[in-house]
Amino acid sequence: MTGTIRMDSIFTSVLLHLPAPTAPVVAAVDWHSVLFLLFAGLACGFAIAVVAAENVVRMALYLVFSLAATAGLFFLAGADFLGAMQLMIYVGGTLVLLVFGVMLTAQAPLVSIKPSASDRALAGIAGAALLAVLLAAAVSVDAWRKPGVGEIPSPTATPLGMALVGVRVDDPPAGAPLTGRSGYMLPFEIVSVHLLVVLVGAAYLARAKRRKTPRAIDVLASSDPPSQGAVLAAAVPAVRTTSGAGGKSALLGGGH
Amino acid sequence: MELPSVLPTLLGLAWLVPLASFVAILFAGPRMGHHGRGAARVATAAIVTSLVLSLAAMVGWLSQHPVRNAVHGGHAAAHGSADGGHGSDAHSSSDHVASGHDGGSHAADHDAGHAASPVAYSGDWYTLYEGGRLKLSIGWYIDALTVLMFVMITFIATCIHIYASDYMHDELHDVEDHEVHLAGGGHFHRPGRYPRFFQALSLFCFSMLGIVIAGNLAMVFIFWELVGICSWFLIGFYYERKSASNAANKAFIVNRIGDFGMLIGLMALWGALGTLNFADTTDRAGDSQPGLFSLVRPTVTEHAQWVPDGMVKFAAADRIAVIVRKHAGDPRAAVDEVEEQLDTWRGEGLGRWLLLVAGLGIFCGCVGKSAQFPLFVWLPDAMEGPTPVSALVHSATMVAAGVYLVGRFYPVLTPDALLVIAYVGAITLFISATIALVANDIKRVLAYSTVSQLGYMMLALGVGGWLAGLFHLVTHAFFKSLLFLCSGSVIHACHTNDMRKMGGLRRVMPWTAGTMLVGCLAIIGAGVPFVIGTSGYYSKDSILAQALLFSRTNPAHWILFYAVAGGAMLTAFYMFRLWFMTFAGEPRDHHVHEHAHESPPAMVYPLVALAVLAVIAGWTLPGGFSIANMIEQARPAGTGAEEAGGLLFNSFTIPAEHESHEGSVHVVATWTAFLTAAAGVFLAALMYVWKVISPSMVAAVFSPLTAFLVNRWYFDELYAFLFVKPILAVSRLASDTDKGVIDKIIDGIAWGARQVAGIDSWIDRNLIDGLVNATAATTWSAGLELRKLQTGHLRQYIMFIVLGTVALFVLASMLFRSTLAG
Amino acid sequence: MGESILSGTVFAAGISVGPAILPGIFPLAPLLAFNPFTEPVGVIHYMIVGAVMFTAGVVCMALKRNALGVLMGIELVLNGANINFIAFSSPYLRGDGAPTLGLDGQLIALFVILLAAAEAAVALAITLNFYNNHATVDIDRADDLKG
Repeated sequence: MTGTIRMDSIFTSVLLHLPAPTAPVVAAVDWHSVLFLLFAGLACGFAIAVVAAENVVRMALYLVFSLAATAGLFFLAGADFLGAMQLMIYVGGTLVLLVFGVMLTAQAPLVSIKPSASDRALAGIAGAALLAVLLAAAVSVDAWRKPGVGEIPSPTATPLGMALVGVRVDDPPAGAPLTGRSGYMLPFEIVSVHLLVVLVGAAYLARAKRRKTPRAIDVLASSDPPSQGAVLAAAVPAVRTTSGAGGKSALLGGGH
Repeated sequence: MELPSVLPTLLGLAWLVPLASFVAILFAGPRMGHHGRGAARVATAAIVTSLVLSLAAMVGWLSQHPVRNAVHGGHAAAHGSADGGHGSDAHSSSDHVASGHDGGSHAADHDAGHAASPVAYSGDWYTLYEGGRLKLSIGWYIDALTVLMFVMITFIATCIHIYASDYMHDELHDVEDHEVHLAGGGHFHRPGRYPRFFQALSLFCFSMLGIVIAGNLAMVFIFWELVGICSWFLIGFYYERKSASNAANKAFIVNRIGDFGMLIGLMALWGALGTLNFADTTDRAGDSQPGLFSLVRPTVTEHAQWVPDGMVKFAAADRIAVIVRKHAGDPRAAVDEVEEQLDTWRGEGLGRWLLLVAGLGIFCGCVGKSAQFPLFVWLPDAMEGPTPVSALVHSATMVAAGVYLVGRFYPVLTPDALLVIAYVGAITLFISATIALVANDIKRVLAYSTVSQLGYMMLALGVGGWLAGLFHLVTHAFFKSLLFLCSGSVIHACHTNDMRKMGGLRRVMPWTAGTMLVGCLAIIGAGVPFVIGTSGYYSKDSILAQALLFSRTNPAHWILFYAVAGGAMLTAFYMFRLWFMTFAGEPRDHHVHEHAHESPPAMVYPLVALAVLAVIAGWTLPGGFSIANMIEQARPAGTGAEEAGGLLFNSFTIPAEHESHEGSVHVVATWTAFLTAAAGVFLAALMYVWKVISPSMVAAVFSPLTAFLVNRWYFDELYAFLFVKPILAVSRLASDTDKGVIDKIIDGIAWGARQVAGIDSWIDRNLIDGLVNATAATTWSAGLELRKLQTGHLRQYIMFIVLGTVALFVLASMLFRSTLAG
Repeated sequence: MGESILSGTVFAAGISVGPAILPGIFPLAPLLAFNPFTEPVGVIHYMIVGAVMFTAGVVCMALKRNALGVLMGIELVLNGANINFIAFSSPYLRGDGAPTLGLDGQLIALFVILLAAAEAAVALAITLNFYNNHATVDIDRADDLKG
């Protein structure tokens, strides 16, 4: 082996390792892996697409796809209930929320606000560095690099539900102690209260506020500034009162 | 009711009422009526209450202890005034009558005889301190003398309060003091001080009565000082006048010298005897503890004076030490041997000196208070006070306190101490009488007369005339206060003290002239020999008789009699010189004469009342009562007998007083008194009425002597040279040392401290503050720089996070490569 | 074996590039030899997907000026993290009976989803408020608290 690196050699080696067309491909294909590859590609691809897109509506759409693909990954990993939740909460709930947000704020000039080129460059460098660090960390542990050939997990909905109400019915993982496993009653309750608080808080934060001065958005939205007449009309009672008092005092002054 | 319980109550109330008046005026004086006019009423009401209570006490006393042995042969005080009806039911001197009082009252009647204890009640109201055998208390010692003194003091004080309420009326409005010259040439204006005057007067009455009723020497000392301070207040009443404030300070300081001796006496007594009580007391255990009187004159010697055990032991301390060392292991044996040896030691005379020192120490205080030679210089100056004060404080009562204390303390005084007292009295009486001859200030003549009369009393006491001295004290109080009030009346009318500007006043001031003539006759002892006379006639004759007896008994001391006789003549001369110059003849200064007028009734009534008493105070009433007999009731046990002395002087004998009533002595004394007085009056009349001899010519002939007398024997100058100047020099030296040396050292230290502080300040400002400021500035600039990081750009923050994360990872991977790789 | 050749090549390339700044990256080489059609996937593959999504989220947060874009970045980040939890909880992916997080990982991921939903609601409310007050969703203009 030489100490030099040649780009063509990498491509060559990849091609070399593709299954030979003559081989009994079907029998050897691990459909699990293929599906993983599919979902992983979708998830990653649409995630990158979210980054790359400049229109916020498209970003939302790509995000839906990315998260849905992630749900597929969850299914592949045996987390059937969680995949369902991913679809229902994330794709069905959170994303709808985001889309609402997009729609509420999607004034024409705001749909796409572009970052500068230097920002892009910086973000790219930083992202690359982060990715490198994360990958390095991921592959640095030998045990994680082994291919998964473990048992196919059973459906998890029941154990999860039981765990949430405080009862563990799943088998402990191999090597884990049998005792001392707790249910998730308390976190469940905390999260439920948390959600309630968030619900109220969000409603409070986002409520339509009565304001004395016109909202900036209204002023911006209306093509013409508030008309002189409207302002006068608003001020009329005050003016009237003032003039009345003034007239009275003038009368008194005249009496002298 | 029992007398032992009633008397302390009555006299205690009489004593405390003026205190209440003082407190009331002190806090509410200026609000009492217009300009405090009510203060006089409050004070007068208080002293009248005291007088009534004292009279009640006297009536009570006389009802139980009637003065019956009233045979006043000629004018001799009866000795041994036995009250058989009472004495026979018999307390021996060691008996204690149980009564309702704390501490228990001691009453001991006296039998018919000199060697018996007089009737006296004693006890304590309040204990100030008690520890071991030592006890300080506020208590009473009441005998006939106490009761009599109470009546006398409250009576005179009442007269003077009434008199002063009018005399001091100038103080009711703003006063222009003509004797204070301001720098601008005007006179000094000030608000009136009417309440202040009566406030001090009330406090004085309280203090004086406190001395009289006191049951122990410590209490006497306390009130002794209180009357001193009252005297200071009253002499310095016009304190804006330089002369008045000087006189007040002089009186106070001179008295301190006497009190120093008194303190020595107190320490000698307390140190050696452990008690200051006059009478025997009962301690908590119920045992009788002997008082001073029974220690010095115990029953075992039939009340003859001896040196008390305590003083013998005190003097024999070295011998006791030898005995104690001999019986090292056996204290009981040592005590027994000491007790055995006591009489031997006493026989050797151990402790006699201590007793003498104690007596002379107490006498020192009396010298100061009673203005005896050599401390008499303050009294004439004390005339700067208002005249009622002179009458009450500086003639009748306070100055008599010294004489009273000598009389009260008489049993403890040794014959030698008495002889010293006699000589001091003789010197005093002679010096002051001569000065009075040439004085022109009417009050100063009376002041020197007072000093002279006090000398008489001291001399009388010193030569064994206990009764004569105290009797003269009482009579003198009456006629001297009368004389002073008369002089006050004259001053009130003439607005001057100078007799040379007076004359012929008898026509415009008949009452004053008449009462003053009575006072003059009383003081010279005028009377029809062997028939009747003024009060002075009785008291002075008994002094003369006792002095004559003493001189006969001890020919070496003949001078004492001649001093008394000469003094009597001088007294007569200067008193009538005073009267003639003031009231007789023609007016010398018409301006003064035209303005003169008789004083208002409130001033005249007391004069009349005192004049009456000045005449009759010596008389024996039909019932047998006389003041002299009443005093005789209180004669201390054992003091009527002959006593021999010889510690300081060649041996001499103090004769028993009753012997002076014997005809051979008595007749001579009476004629001597009469003739000397008549001679003095005659001489005065020659010079100032008939003008046969010109006073100015006499003065010219004896000019050196006159100058000597006018300048008061140069005593003030002598004291200034001997004491005042050296003290001033020493104080100036001390002041210079203070300013020149000590102040310089302190200034130097301060300067050094200031320099160090300067360095410290520089370090503080430049180094420490610089450090702190630099820290602050660095923090500030760092904050400014770091502020720039807070751009408010969310995306930048995220970039920071990312870069930070990456950097952390890189760092961690470099540091922990093996771990990550593993 | 081609695999060994490839790894050796990359290894050599790593050495030749320079000092081993990121030594952990070299074991990446075998992954490039992964045959998706025949070999079973492992934890590492999920981790790679998670890392990519995480990075995409972070870059999204750092890049987007639209507040909603930032929110989407946050969702991506959370999702990337969730993938890791799922991977480590899966007994299949770990293989060989290696210890897994088991059901705990899934539960944690579930909570993350729930909290993400809550966070999205609150963040959206804040965004709307911001929009109401500033008439924009440009977070570059949200610098009222800058130092």
